[in-house]
Amino acid sequence: MRLFRLIRAVLREIFDEAAYERFRNRTGVEAERDSYSQFLREREQIKNVKCC
Amino acid sequence: MKFSSVLWIAVAVFGAFALATVALHRGEQVDALWLVTAAVCSYAVGYRFYSKFIATRVLALDPQRATPAERLENGRDFVPTNKWVVFGHHFAAIAGPGPLVGPVLAAQFGYLPGTLWILVGAVFGGCVQDFVILLFSVRRDGKSLTEMAKEEIGRVGGFVAYASVISILVILLAVCALIVVNALKQSPWGTFTIAMTIPIAFLMGIYLRRIRPGRVLETSIIGFGLVLLAIWGGQWVSQTPAVASYFTMTAPALAIAIIIYGFAASALPVWLLLAPRDYLSTFVKLGTIGLLAIGILFMHPTLHMPALTRFTDGTGPVFAGKLFPFAFITIACGAISGFHSLISSGTTPKLIRRETEIRLVGYGAMLCESLVAIMATIAACVLDPGTYFAINSPAGIAGQLPEKAAATITGWGFPVTAGSMHALAQNVGELTLFNRTGGAPAFAVGMAHIFSNSLGGEAVMALWYHFALMFEALFILTVLDAGTRVGRFMLQDALGHAWKPLGRTSWYPSVFATSGLIVALWGYFLWQGVRDPLGGINSLWPLFGIANQLLAAVALCVATTIIIKMHRAKYALVTLGPLSWLVTVTFIASWHKILDPDPRLGFLAQARQLAATGGNARLIFNNRLDAVVAGLLVVMVALILLESARQWIGILRGSRMSATKETPFVLTQFAEERG
Repeated sequence: MRLFRLIRAVLREIFDEAAYERFRNRTGVEAERDSYSQFLREREQIKNVKCC
Repeated sequence: MKFSSVLWIAVAVFGAFALATVALHRGEQVDALWLVTAAVCSYAVGYRFYSKFIATRVLALDPQRATPAERLENGRDFVPTNKWVVFGHHFAAIAGPGPLVGPVLAAQFGYLPGTLWILVGAVFGGCVQDFVILLFSVRRDGKSLTEMAKEEIGRVGGFVAYASVISILVILLAVCALIVVNALKQSPWGTFTIAMTIPIAFLMGIYLRRIRPGRVLETSIIGFGLVLLAIWGGQWVSQTPAVASYFTMTAPALAIAIIIYGFAASALPVWLLLAPRDYLSTFVKLGTIGLLAIGILFMHPTLHMPALTRFTDGTGPVFAGKLFPFAFITIACGAISGFHSLISSGTTPKLIRRETEIRLVGYGAMLCESLVAIMATIAACVLDPGTYFAINSPAGIAGQLPEKAAATITGWGFPVTAGSMHALAQNVGELTLFNRTGGAPAFAVGMAHIFSNSLGGEAVMALWYHFALMFEALFILTVLDAGTRVGRFMLQDALGHAWKPLGRTSWYPSVFATSGLIVALWGYFLWQGVRDPLGGINSLWPLFGIANQLLAAVALCVATTIIIKMHRAKYALVTLGPLSWLVTVTFIASWHKILDPDPRLGFLAQARQLAATGGNARLIFNNRLDAVVAGLLVVMVALILLESARQWIGILRGSRMSATKETPFVLTQFAEERG
């Protein structure tokens, strides 16, 4: 069960779900279109390098 | 003697035995599991002993010291995160097409040189680089490699690091695009599948934004299902002549399409194309790498490629050049990759919760990447050597017609017939598999071979082949999307110093101009590769390898400087060793690529030969341009090396200050935790 929770946490981080949750906690908004748009605008500024 | 000592001695002995089996067998086929065993044992010993030595003696990781994720926590980019989560995040960012393509190309020397370099290079070079750069970035509030180079080495260091990053980005993106072009040309099935990933990404973007905001995993699973449908539909497309003709594209036509796509991906809103594609690609990437590992473990295929081929002498058709130095620049990401230093000084340092966890993330994730490279070597070497060379030899060398190419390759001592290649092409749903350079098709055939032996047999080989091709092309194109965008940001950063509006990432004239410039730069090299009679990979992949390894040299210069400044000069060999090796290898390789008198190898010799035979003026110019680019890269790295050496000598003599730019010590609130 612990392993499953860990894998889920890793996937949530990789797929930005955890980042969205942190964003909602930080800004105090619900999960909805507008808040997700705000979150995406914020993420756009992060230079997410992917390796070759 | 303690049980753990006995255990580690057993692991080391077993690893040495596996390595000896791999290295000493001649004339017999080797089970791929020996490669995996040798790799896993080497990694285990390397992690347990060498990384621990670096962590305790060289870097003195401090469990009491607060990381920037803790001190600067903002819930946005600075977030203290569980070490396994950071490990997964870091691995997903460093694992790209490089560890798959490089080993496939280097298999022209046989399976042994690539395997040894992947193991030794990773344990003593790549893992060390990723580890030390990650720590030094953590101790400097998550600063980037270019910022650290500027602060620790000086303005020259900063400039060279910046210029190296831009150069490597441009060449990397060109070579990535060329691999996709070579994999998809004249392949309606593959082209259709990859083309469909664009509307699928749009759908995912809209679903994520409008219907289920933030449900990325769920959306990725839906996207993956649609991609599988596209692969299945691709078979119908390829078998329906009226539709297939729309997706049967020449290399130049595909190149133009990819250039347009690259510009769109950089300029369109991230949520619409780039982000959903990135999620989809990561999902497929992690799943497929896991699947490949399971396939190799359960099927333990036999390697048909010999340990060493005759092409160690430099006459190989896949790329020109002798085993030394070219094997060491062809395989970059699986052994050591300068690009990783950008990720180790990018998002990852801002997530590290405790300093002691850096060993697992920096050193450990690179070991996993290295294992991916071993799996790619296996995928290439399970093919009959004749088949491998038929796929990877350009028409300019093997011959244009199937019969001619088969006769040439058989003449090299690797029997293959036009009939067997035709049958294989039919099995995987392609018109032909001759002259499919770039590594991706050979990897896809190898992977399909491994999978179809366990699931479905030859009947589904075409589906496995196109699944593998889609997987590679999908995440190569993701590198293209993200790389073009990062290049755009870097240009905007620099131009913003000249005129502020140019630095604004949301000002459209600047967005279009800088996106256009970056796309034009890599698009030029892509076009050059497409038009190259030797297939493009012969000139572009070594150029990419040189650029990537030179960036690693920049990172190791920074790391060595910091280690000396930390008064740990007696341990500087930990980074100075790989640095010396990389500088030797890349400088010699660059010398060959620029000045070697063999026209297949030296850019200038090829330009001279073309000029003497009345060749195309553009090809002559391109060869000279490649020579200039390789020369500039070497000069830049020589500059940073000299500047670093001046620092080292000055500090050791006591004539220079040895103060580092570390942020002051702050006690962590996690000090009580075990770590």
